[in-house]
Amino acid sequence: MKYIHPISEEYQEYLKDESRTTGNANTISFPTSEKEVVEIVKHLYQNQETITIQGARTGVAAGAVPKTGHAMNFSKMNGITGCTVENGRFLFGVEAGHSLIALNQKIGTKKMDTTGWSQESIAAFHEFLDAPMQFYPPDPTETTCSIGGMVSCNASGARSFSYGSVRNHIDGLRVVLADGELLHLKRGQNFAKDRVLELVTESGKQIKLDLPKYKMPTTKNASGYFVEDNMDAVDLFIGADGTLGIVTHITIVTSPLPQEIWGVSCFFASEKLALDFVIAVRKEKENIAALEYFDPNALEILRIQKKSGTAFKQLPEIPEAYVACVYCEIHTDTKELAQETMFRIGAKMKATGNNPEHTWVARNDGDLKTLQFFRHAVPECSNMIIDARKKVEPIITKLGSDMSVPNDSLQAVVDLYQTTLEAENLEYAIWGHIGDNHLHVNVLPKNAEDFYKGKELFKHWAKETSAMGGAVSAEHGVGKIKANFLEIMYGKEGIEEMRALKQSLDPSGLLNIGNLFDVEEVAK
Amino acid sequence: MKTIVCMKQVPSSNEVRLHPVTKTIIRDGKASVINPFDASALEQAVQIREKLGGSITALSMGILETAELLRDGISRGCDEAVLLSDCAFAGADTLATSYTLSLGVDKIGDFDLILCGKMAVDGDTAQIGPELAQTLGIPYATDVIEILEVDETKITVKRGIDGGTQVITLPYPALITVVKEIQKPRLPSIQSIGDSLQKEITIYTAPELGADETRTGLNGSPTEVVQTFIPENKVDCVELTGSIAEICKSIATIRQEVK
Repeated sequence: MKYIHPISEEYQEYLKDESRTTGNANTISFPTSEKEVVEIVKHLYQNQETITIQGARTGVAAGAVPKTGHAMNFSKMNGITGCTVENGRFLFGVEAGHSLIALNQKIGTKKMDTTGWSQESIAAFHEFLDAPMQFYPPDPTETTCSIGGMVSCNASGARSFSYGSVRNHIDGLRVVLADGELLHLKRGQNFAKDRVLELVTESGKQIKLDLPKYKMPTTKNASGYFVEDNMDAVDLFIGADGTLGIVTHITIVTSPLPQEIWGVSCFFASEKLALDFVIAVRKEKENIAALEYFDPNALEILRIQKKSGTAFKQLPEIPEAYVACVYCEIHTDTKELAQETMFRIGAKMKATGNNPEHTWVARNDGDLKTLQFFRHAVPECSNMIIDARKKVEPIITKLGSDMSVPNDSLQAVVDLYQTTLEAENLEYAIWGHIGDNHLHVNVLPKNAEDFYKGKELFKHWAKETSAMGGAVSAEHGVGKIKANFLEIMYGKEGIEEMRALKQSLDPSGLLNIGNLFDVEEVAK
Repeated sequence: MKTIVCMKQVPSSNEVRLHPVTKTIIRDGKASVINPFDASALEQAVQIREKLGGSITALSMGILETAELLRDGISRGCDEAVLLSDCAFAGADTLATSYTLSLGVDKIGDFDLILCGKMAVDGDTAQIGPELAQTLGIPYATDVIEILEVDETKITVKRGIDGGTQVITLPYPALITVVKEIQKPRLPSIQSIGDSLQKEITIYTAPELGADETRTGLNGSPTEVVQTFIPENKVDCVELTGSIAEICKSIATIRQEVK
């Protein structure tokens, strides 16, 4: 078939992703349209070949790494296909391979290629041009990710504290099923009855799905299938790690861009004081879009990188007295409200025994970029450390956790991380979305022994955070790397229910094998 | 050590987007900010004060809303702020602006050093600093990339020139214009922003400054903008080293070659 190429030397990079995991595949394709996707899928279905779906391969859970069979790469499906206005909201049809960074730029500059759009779409786009500025709220750190990839792992980012994950900003999906049947799902049009969902494909094929009965955690969650009573059909395919169908096209919903976006980095003399502040400030979270944490080790990494004279020398000087940091992002429509929120943050600092002088405030784009550079520098610096160590010990990869817990377990989970890491004498840094009790604990292994110790710790934390009522993955998805954690979280019964659901849509187990479940188990 | 920092309000974004149908500018609604070069000048002034003590006064000419920008300057380290605001100042080119600023400097009184950004990101003229120094009749250095030494009586700076750098020592009172990279501006704190709201901004009108209104605003602006473009740099620069005699010989040779 003309779209399918054997995996040769030039395609080797498509066997891995940002998780630094390498897989295997026999063939690869780069479809340029949904029609081509359907043709390829039907061809592969006849031969019962497995398909691994790839976006920008920026995931850290190896969801896009093929185990075998065919890799379907969406990098050439990267257009915006139209615009509609519904109840004052702007909806854009986006192909799955479109990158987030390009989408943000197109929305931010209001420049889009409208070639081939319908007259209705162009009229809606003109309304968009005249409307107040819009933005797409989900903000994963890795902005080169694809929108399809974000959908597959229900990605979020710092601003999910206020705006929620990508799920909240999707109005519809087009999905190609394992046999090439096409589903067009629009939010609000097809709901489950209790836990039974009926789907009708574009060709009229009816599919009845018995949804798993498990109860999802109430925390931020990207672990396994999203199921709840009377749920919207769209939600089933978001966060499914590409195991139920191939999302080709996503209808995203933009939101009005807040007129004022301010950043406040608050510094603390101890971690305890920082946690006290977080607990206090999120009791009145109005206008606060993000609450991000940096532990003492994360700040130390930045100090060292700044001194090293690399690109990070532009980082602001962090006084030694600043031991931990919480970054708060304020979104409002008036300067007065932004100022009021900033002073509320200052008052919370004072009330929890901290000093409002120990803050950095950004009230314009330039200063905000400085604080955002500071925030993004931490994971970048830690990646640099890992890459350097990997050269000496190739087995080492990044070990970053993605677990979330309920609000009342914040202190307990931080204690858990610290005591176990110290007991194992591991080097680490903790940062991330503390507003949602969703911290990324990054073990920085110095050798293979550290690496294995770290992996064991992650398994231990999966048990403990699940027992607290949390999720083993809150935004990166389960992929292949965390497949063994999913059973810890939902138990064998939960996994069996998920497996049964997958078999209803993909009876031969062809799509994204190894994601969520072990491959042999799916075949069974 | 008494320092004055000149500040200009500029749009926060240089990007202009046009509506494809109406061809009008799509406004992003973003507020104006301190010209980034001036923000670096302010940070440099704050670091000089941290070393030598003294005070920093921010000075700007503009509409009354510019007071907010000056308050931002206070939150980042200025002690006082002076705004020159009057209808008579509207439409000023660099000549009229530097004249008006010179009156502001006179009003502030005693000073040792004036710091300006090398240029503003909206106009890109880089003329205000030198014109202000000329109007005040004080020595100046432009394009300063580093402060090498500073004390109570003089300042030694390194300035960028075509093909190299030059070190100059200026006795006070003096003026320097600085590049953006000279310092990374510090961020204000919640506390300093709160304190800045309590500060009063001094505002002077044209009559209060005793301004000659034929020299301010549109009246005092001989500049006519006919076209804007980025000039091509057609100048090659050669660094000459050695003794004075050797350098003179080199110059003579170059002159010969050019002829």
